[in-house]
Amino acid sequence: MVREITNNNFDAVRNAPFAVVDFNATWCGPCRMLGPIIDELSDEMDDVEFFSCDVDDNGDLALVFGIQSIPAVGVFKNGKLVDMSVGFKPKAAMEHFISTHA
Amino acid sequence: MERYDIAIIGTGPAGISAALTAKNRNKSILLLGSAALSPKLTKAHRIDNYPGLTQITGADFAQKLREQLDTMGITVTEGQVGAVYAMGDYFGLQVGEEMLEAKTVIVAAGVMQGKLLPGEDRYLGRGVSYCATCDARLYPGKTVAVLGYSAEASKEAEFLAEIAGKVLYFPMNSAIPKESENLVILHEKPQEILGDKTAGTLRTDQGEHKTDCIFVLRDAVMPETLVPGVETDGPHIRVNLQMQTNIPGLFAAGDIAGKPYQYVKAAGQGNVAALSAVSYLQNAGK
Repeated sequence: MVREITNNNFDAVRNAPFAVVDFNATWCGPCRMLGPIIDELSDEMDDVEFFSCDVDDNGDLALVFGIQSIPAVGVFKNGKLVDMSVGFKPKAAMEHFISTHA
Repeated sequence: MERYDIAIIGTGPAGISAALTAKNRNKSILLLGSAALSPKLTKAHRIDNYPGLTQITGADFAQKLREQLDTMGITVTEGQVGAVYAMGDYFGLQVGEEMLEAKTVIVAAGVMQGKLLPGEDRYLGRGVSYCATCDARLYPGKTVAVLGYSAEASKEAEFLAEIAGKVLYFPMNSAIPKESENLVILHEKPQEILGDKTAGTLRTDQGEHKTDCIFVLRDAVMPETLVPGVETDGPHIRVNLQMQTNIPGLFAAGDIAGKPYQYVKAAGQGNVAALSAVSYLQNAGK
């Protein structure tokens, strides 16, 4: 399951040992393609908590994390950003990107 | 939405050969490219080594290809493919603002000529963008630069000017957009993209410009930009003798699949790629 971030509320990510945040927007083509892949991974990667962050609804967070191009997928360990992947990746490549931080 | 059996990107000899073979095998095809076919092709002075055609000019060769497409009832869908997304059991093809779908894809888009600007690669996605329609809305009220290499670039710049605060347009090889209050045309030669964590400055032969994003709009892009996740070898997509890539269902043919850059080799590879796509479709039971 992918949890939606609203009102710039990042607490759930800060409190998670291992979290993935998909920064996206409704108008972004590659984001719409990546969405279902993130959904599938969230069902398959049990030890990772997945979040979706619409940059239009959460402008402050986008600014804090310096989001310049979307989709951008951030890996957070204990609330700290450790890596960011910018752009679409096929499922296997995205899974690899995330699991290197396991 | 129709999900085509085979999408073919490129209307040079490789793409056309793939289309002819796929059509012969009764597959539904989406041939994406230019109705004028490959501009590189029509410019060729003379071709001497294409079996069956004696000393033919590039323009005459292109004319024969067009006639052959017409005879086979194959139409060319005009449009530039921004990206191909491997979704697992199908592919999404971003063409302008549209997303088209196909079960297999043959990339025959030609090889990118010319070099990237220093810093372009490094800052791609971090202050450098290849797609105005994708990323424009991240820059409301901001200052952006547009490097217009492609024919469509001027239109994209006008679109950007509706959203961004200021557009600095550098015409590289394209039509000049309409100048307006927030669209300025600068006849300078871009030299380098500079920045720290993200790109912030475009250096030209005449000075430096501070920007929030630099849009580099080219006709062709590097293969890994066109198909995120594809394995490459320099400017080429890595293929085996069946023209398969590392992504199941994705094939490449022609110049983008490696040297030599020859029409007869491109046509042969297009044929192999189409047959490989047909057998992939059979095995997938689709």
